[in-house]
Amino acid sequence: MQQKTITVLIDETGNSSVDLDGFAGHGCEKVLKDFQGDDFAKVQRKKPVFYSQTSEGQGRQLKSGR
Amino acid sequence: MSAYGEFETMIREQRFLIEGLTEMGYRVEEHPEGAALIGYHGDERPERAEVIIRRAQLDSASNDIGFVREKDGRFRAIVSEYDRSIGYDDKWLGKVHQHYKEKQTLGMAQAKGYIFRGKEVVQTPNGPQIRLQFVVR
Repeated sequence: MQQKTITVLIDETGNSSVDLDGFAGHGCEKVLKDFQGDDFAKVQRKKPVFYSQTSEGQGRQLKSGR
Repeated sequence: MSAYGEFETMIREQRFLIEGLTEMGYRVEEHPEGAALIGYHGDERPERAEVIIRRAQLDSASNDIGFVREKDGRFRAIVSEYDRSIGYDDKWLGKVHQHYKEKQTLGMAQAKGYIFRGKEVVQTPNGPQIRLQFVVR
């Protein structure tokens, strides 16, 4: 299983970027929110793996429900 | 890879502001009710602040630098025109935010159980950037 890592880069003005690796589905949203804290969000986006793993998970649920 | 965000740092937590300023080498006064800033003549200025760097640590003609908590909970820096002109400017305030954000991130991560894996300082043409890495327990 891929390790879930969080990389925070704080630039010279004090603003930050947060990059999540190895997360699948909605678990990453809480983690991103933790690292955002009270800060103002300028950019937030899901990466392709988020969508592919989410849709794979949904597919499995549908199959097992039959 | 799963998500990415960019955030503008808001200084709201006094203890991390103090920790950051202390790491920058300042002895900081905390005044829960606010205290007057002192000008370069030794005169009491009308501005009050909860967090103060006294002028003796700055330049011989400096005024105190204060951080006052606004109604929305954010801290705003009070820096005189003179002090801005001798280097306590936006670049310096950027460093204050950078130190604050590092302390705030480490404090939050520890409190919420993230495992700290390391810190790296990355030199760029605009100045040093701080990279922190964590893993999920």
